[in-house]
Amino acid sequence: MTSSTLTRPARVDLTFKQKLARFDYRVSPYLYIAPFFILFALIGIFPIAYTLNVSLYDWHLLKGQGDFVGLNNYVSVLSDPFFWNAFRNTISIFLLSAIPQLIIATGLAALLDQALRGKTFWRMSILLPYIVAPVAVAVIFAQIFNQYHGPVAGLLEAFGLEPIRWAFDVLPSHFAIASMVNWRWTGYNALILLAAMQAIPRDVYESAALDGANKIRRFWSITVPMIRPTLIFVVITSTIGGLQIFTEPKLFDGRTNGGSDRQFQTIVLYLYELAFPRRDFGRASATAWILFLIIILAGLINFAITRAIRTADAKPVPIASGPTAAQRAKGAAS
Amino acid sequence: MKTSRRRIAASVAGVATLALLATGCAASGSSDGGDKGDKVTLSITTFGTMGVDANYKKYMEENPNVTIEATNLEGGGAARDDAYAKIAAGTGLSDIVAIEEGWLGTIAEVSDSFVDLRDYGIEDKKDTWLDWKYEQGTDADGRVIGAGLDIGPQGLCYRGDLFEAAGLPSERTAVAEYFGGENATWDRFFEVGQEYKDKSGKAFYHSPRFFWNSFVNQQKEGYYKKDGETLNIEGNDVLKDQFVKIVEAEKAGLGAGLPGWDVGPEAKEGKYAVYMCPSWMLGIVQGYYDEGTTDSGWDFADVLPGGSANWGGAFLGVSESSEHKEEAAKLALWLAAPEQQAASFELAGPYPSTVEGQKLVADTKSAFFNDAPIGEIFAARSEGVIAQVKGPEDSNIQDNVFGPIFDRVSQGEITDGETAWKEAMKLLNQIVG
Repeated sequence: MTSSTLTRPARVDLTFKQKLARFDYRVSPYLYIAPFFILFALIGIFPIAYTLNVSLYDWHLLKGQGDFVGLNNYVSVLSDPFFWNAFRNTISIFLLSAIPQLIIATGLAALLDQALRGKTFWRMSILLPYIVAPVAVAVIFAQIFNQYHGPVAGLLEAFGLEPIRWAFDVLPSHFAIASMVNWRWTGYNALILLAAMQAIPRDVYESAALDGANKIRRFWSITVPMIRPTLIFVVITSTIGGLQIFTEPKLFDGRTNGGSDRQFQTIVLYLYELAFPRRDFGRASATAWILFLIIILAGLINFAITRAIRTADAKPVPIASGPTAAQRAKGAAS
Repeated sequence: MKTSRRRIAASVAGVATLALLATGCAASGSSDGGDKGDKVTLSITTFGTMGVDANYKKYMEENPNVTIEATNLEGGGAARDDAYAKIAAGTGLSDIVAIEEGWLGTIAEVSDSFVDLRDYGIEDKKDTWLDWKYEQGTDADGRVIGAGLDIGPQGLCYRGDLFEAAGLPSERTAVAEYFGGENATWDRFFEVGQEYKDKSGKAFYHSPRFFWNSFVNQQKEGYYKKDGETLNIEGNDVLKDQFVKIVEAEKAGLGAGLPGWDVGPEAKEGKYAVYMCPSWMLGIVQGYYDEGTTDSGWDFADVLPGGSANWGGAFLGVSESSEHKEEAAKLALWLAAPEQQAASFELAGPYPSTVEGQKLVADTKSAFFNDAPIGEIFAARSEGVIAQVKGPEDSNIQDNVFGPIFDRVSQGEITDGETAWKEAMKLLNQIVG
């Protein structure tokens, strides 16, 4: 109290304008970023916390809150074979989409990185699938992969091949769904990787070319190592997205929640089935939290890998003639 | 990449929230003025081919202050999940919501989400409905939450042209007789199927799901006992026997191995010859073809293996969250009135649940179904029929227990009746137990 009254006289001299400027200087930055955080608290933190609350109760979708059951919902979800089925499906669809996607996107980016005519045209073109609403993509692909009268079925028939049960067999359905994801995200990732490639100094390529490295060698020895941070970014973001996949498998067969026999039920679809047709909001919320933790875990693993790669990069290349640390240690022991 | 997707989603959600807040305020502001004479927009959510849309225009012409905003969802399952989600959220239900018999029981558990139509004069018109239909729309406390629209008496849709080509009778009374007429049994149905298969080399029906549903609905007690609470499936030999028979029929190749719905292209290719047709299914079969088609070969016979039974039927409820309950109830009751039920029937086939409505359509014929006298046939098919008591998990059991098992059977994954039944019971206990 006393100290503030003591300091006050000094401030009295400030004009209103000065005060305003001071206020502006101190507070404005926070105000500028506040909308994001307010919005994030409203639609991010609050739902997450509320879901945690719901997951601890016996909670009927329509009738609402019931008895407190502690971690029972978590136990029952984790002991439900359907959950593990959904877990396997999610991982399988994720691998089927992420791996080819990354390879194709890198290849596409490398092609676009060449001196092409109409650069902007090509770059925009590969982004087009990203603009299309995922619902529309899913509806179109569900038609394409219709087991009975889709064009793919027709093609197989024309070649005298056995029909593939796209919506009934596990692996074909995962393949069909992964192809929707790939179609939508490959171009987008290619552009991100392209940006990374463009940032590589051209003289590195030139000197490599002078040393006699051909295009393929330059790609593997220069491009790939230098875009690695971006590649890791792409992997992390696609892991987060891939684990939450919902629209594509839901609309692949809209009348079911991931196939009549849960052939392509992902974790979010499992959650959806619990929440709506089965109206068990408590267990659905527990599933949401389990998924949240799985994603955090996947993120941590990604992070660890990234760090491992970085430290590996940072290590100085051992001089061929000098003894390695292991050798030195061995020598000291003997 | 997905970070930005989430961020976009987040900002969209944020904007939507603000918009909701804004419109919420606006809406509550305007409703203070009361409903009389003011411009009112009423939203209605229906599903499948209910034919209710036949009447919107007329209502808007007669009531120029009313604008109807209609949403039609693809199937009953989608409508169910949509309604559940919005009831749970406590907001978002349309003013008028179409409710299917199969999940009406679940809605009745939270019946206060819907207004009591007695407050809007439904009791004065009580006598127009079939007693049991009116009863179904009433919850345990006597509140009337649903105004009955259609009922689901069932007949047999069949392909006259394919029957003829296979050397079976093709004229509709002869077909009904051939299946056994009033005494038609499921055994005879499978016999005829076998005969068709032998003579034509083609599958008889598209999926066993619908025949199973028909059979379950024919029983005095279906998936639930009469109390609507006790499950009636495990140890139920009647259901099991029929189930095993269906698996046998599938093994014999009577089924085309198709999904239950969306099988229009296969119909055009003549891959199956019969379709189990509750009244509301007529519009679905018709929807597989271009509008105005009359040479599809489909016909409709006055017969149902195992005897008459009701399958499905819808109700209109007015949501408690509606801003214009009075106007909405007025529209709902109008849509469920005999004349409008008749118009819906003529457009899409759902059979009226009012006595007067049934009289109005007594002479209706369907050009699509080879001029079949559908009004007359449904009158015969609904005689003495009372809908079965449904329990809270009825539609869940139908869609998520027996549906998938029959898919596995018709895809040749399970070929033994006993095994299939065991699998079904396992699934039942996982999902409902």
